[in-house]
Amino acid sequence: MQCEEVRNQFTDYLSESLAEPVRSEIQQHLIACESCRNEAQDLKDIWARLDSIPAETPDTAGMRARFNVMLDAYRQGMDHAPVSTWWGSVNSWIAGFWPKQPALQFALTATLVLIAVVAGRHYPTVVPPPAPVTQGAGIEVTQLRQEVRDMSQMVALALMQQQSASERLKGVSWSNQIEQPDTEILNALLDALMHDDNTNVRLAAVDALKKFGERQIVRKGVLQALQKKDAPLVQVALIDYVVERQDKESVDTLRQISQDADVNENVRKHAEWGLENLR
Amino acid sequence: MRNTLTDEALMLSVRDGDVGQLGVLFERYHGMLFDFFCRMLGNRTAADDLVQDVFFRILKYRKTYRDDSHFTTWMFHIARNARFDHFKKHRAEVLFPEEGFDLPGRGPFPSQQFEKEQETVMLQRAMQKLPDEKRELLILARYKELKYEQIADLLGVDVGTVKVRVHRAVKELREIFLKLSGEKASCNVKKSETSLRII
Repeated sequence: MQCEEVRNQFTDYLSESLAEPVRSEIQQHLIACESCRNEAQDLKDIWARLDSIPAETPDTAGMRARFNVMLDAYRQGMDHAPVSTWWGSVNSWIAGFWPKQPALQFALTATLVLIAVVAGRHYPTVVPPPAPVTQGAGIEVTQLRQEVRDMSQMVALALMQQQSASERLKGVSWSNQIEQPDTEILNALLDALMHDDNTNVRLAAVDALKKFGERQIVRKGVLQALQKKDAPLVQVALIDYVVERQDKESVDTLRQISQDADVNENVRKHAEWGLENLR
Repeated sequence: MRNTLTDEALMLSVRDGDVGQLGVLFERYHGMLFDFFCRMLGNRTAADDLVQDVFFRILKYRKTYRDDSHFTTWMFHIARNARFDHFKKHRAEVLFPEEGFDLPGRGPFPSQQFEKEQETVMLQRAMQKLPDEKRELLILARYKELKYEQIADLLGVDVGTVKVRVHRAVKELREIFLKLSGEKASCNVKKSETSLRII
C-alpha cells in the first residue's frame, strides 16, 4: 500500500471502523513508514483527547414543559383548523405579505400611518375642517405620538408572551423604551419577574422595573417577589433594587431573609447588608 | 412502559396525524440536540430555544417525511436549517465568550489534574476557532456518532468527500490546539520570568 492510499483511510482508522484485510495492511504500512506512523499517531491522539470535553446536560424538566405546551397548542390548532374557503385563501394570501416579526410589523404599521397622514394632508376632503392649521397639526402630532406609544406597548407585550426566552428578553428590553407605560405593561413585567422560568428574563425584569419604582403597583410587586424564594441571583438583584430605592417597607422582609436558614448564605449576607443600608 | 418502536415508525405515525408520538422522539433526542447546539454555539439559552424550534419544525414539516428517510439524518437536516436561520437572525451576537471556558476557581488539586483540565479548556478553545463547517463535521462524526454515510446524506456529498473533510478538520484542530498550547506555555514562561524579576 502507498502512503497516499493509507492516508485516505485515516478517518476510518481513527473511528476504528476498518475491516480486514485493509486494517492489517495499514498496520503493516505504519510499522514500515515513520512519516505515516507519526501522522496517524498525532491524529489518533487529538481524536482521543476530544473525549475529555464533557457533554452539556439539558434542563430536561423545563424543556419538556415547553415542548408539551407547544404540542398542546399544535393539537388545538389541528382540532380547530378551519375548512378551506375562498375567504380563507384571500386571508392567507394577505398574510403572506405581512411580516412575521413584531418589530417589522410595528415598522410597517408606523409607515402606513405616516403615509396615511401625509396623503390626508395633500388630498383634503371637499369639506375641509374650519380649525386653524397650527392647532390641527398639533393635534395630529399628539395623536401620532399616542399611536406610536400604543404600538410600542403592543410590541413589548407581544414579545413578552413568546415561547422563546431570548424573544421575551427582547420584550423586557423593549419596555424600557416606553416613557409612561400603562398598568398592562407593568403587570407584564411583574408577571415576568414572578413567573418566568428563565433567570435572565427575571433579572432583566428587575432592571426594567427600576424606572417605575415610584408606582405603588411596582413597589408591591417587587416586595412580593422578594418574599418568594427565588434564584440567588434574582434575590440579590431585588435586594439591590430596594436598597437603591430606599424602600423602607421591605425592612421586615429583608430581616426574615437574613434569618432564614433555608436561604442561600450569600443572599442572607446580602440581606444583612441591605438592612444596614436601609436604616 | 418503554416504547420499543423505531424512530422511523414513530415519525411515520407523527406524519400520519398521531402527533403525540413526537413526545417519545423528544425524550430520545432532546439531549442529543441540546449538546449539538451547545457545542456549536457555546450558549445554553440559544441551544434550549433551538431544540424547541427543531421539534416545532418537525411538526410543521411532518408531512414531508418520506417512508425511506432515516429519522436522525432528517432531524439533523432540520437542526442545521434552524441553526442557519438563528445565525442569520443573531449575526451580531458573539455567542462564544472570547476568553471562555476558564475553569471556575476551586480549592487546591493535584497538578496533574490541573494540567488535564487546562488541556481540555485549550481543546475547547481550539474547537471554537475551527471554521463552522469543520466544527460541525467533527461534532457530528465524533460526538453524535453519525455514520459517514448519514453525514454524507446530510451534507449532500459522497462518503469519500466526508472522510477527506474529517481528516482535514482533525489535522487543523490539532494545529490550532498545538498553537494555543504553545502560546499558553510561552505566556507561563513570561509570567515566571516576571515574577523572578520581582523577587
